[in-house]
Amino acid sequence: MRSITKLSLVVAALVLTGTTLQAQTNNASITATATVQTPINVVGAQQLSFGNVFPGVNKTVVAMDLANAGRFDISGQASTQVTLSFTLPATLGSGGNTMPIVSYAGVHAQNSTQTGGIGFPPSVGVSPSLNASGQLWVWIGAQVQPATNQAAGVYTGSIVMTVVY
Amino acid sequence: MQTMKRKWWVVIAVVLLAVPLRAQGRALTVTGIRGVTFGAVLPGVPRVVLRTDPANSGQIDIRGPKGPVLLTFVLPVAMTGPGGALMPISFGAGDAGFSATQAIGSQVGFDPKQPFTATVPNNGRASVFVGATANPTTNQRAGAYTATLILTVTVL
Repeated sequence: MRSITKLSLVVAALVLTGTTLQAQTNNASITATATVQTPINVVGAQQLSFGNVFPGVNKTVVAMDLANAGRFDISGQASTQVTLSFTLPATLGSGGNTMPIVSYAGVHAQNSTQTGGIGFPPSVGVSPSLNASGQLWVWIGAQVQPATNQAAGVYTGSIVMTVVY
Repeated sequence: MQTMKRKWWVVIAVVLLAVPLRAQGRALTVTGIRGVTFGAVLPGVPRVVLRTDPANSGQIDIRGPKGPVLLTFVLPVAMTGPGGALMPISFGAGDAGFSATQAIGSQVGFDPKQPFTATVPNNGRASVFVGATANPTTNQRAGAYTATLILTVTVL
């Protein structure tokens, strides 16, 4: 009887040992991934220049005018779409005098020569893509409407372009 | 004496049976299902992935014996990118979640930086979801970044 008791203790020990051996550990891994985009860089590369303007005579610089249209140069993530929006002045100023500036027009292209350029209305904005090198060019034209009694002077205004991915 | 021998045989049978019965318990497997995906990140703009995000959160599935398990993460502090560039990654106190139903919408949140005890249900299946925050610097180098998260599960 005593032997059986001893053996029972052995069995109990084995069962308990079995329980201890049952403890299991395992692991797995996953990855975290991110793609950092090239920061957007915008340069006001060329001023929109109307040159000499005469009172009472409207003057237009078209967006296709490579010499006088305003130009922004954009660089960023290659082949990535961006959204362009503009703040457009309604007048140019000279001291206390103003001169209306209207009829804005824009062209964007993936090269600096406007080959394959696409027109767009700056007041609405547009969403073109940067080229394979991450570059985009944007030109802005407009019309000024000097009054017949427009005061002489140098008139300026600021056109602001905002670019976001 | 005969009775004594019979009892010995019973005892031996119990021992032999005990081992196979224990061996029949489910083996523990832990499987990485989905990584944490930040997608496109802009320099200087932190990007948060919630553990409840069905497309971008990380998911690790657990199969094993029902009952309590200890979950322990090994977490990176940065992701490695082009030329060895580093981008900090951080984990909040509620960025991990345990789901006994494996449903992303039914999680118990926990701090992945601390060991967490959870209970695997009767069907032996559960999932762990994890979110994180990528913290690119303003001059973060462009390119692809990766890091590894490890979850260790111990049956208690």
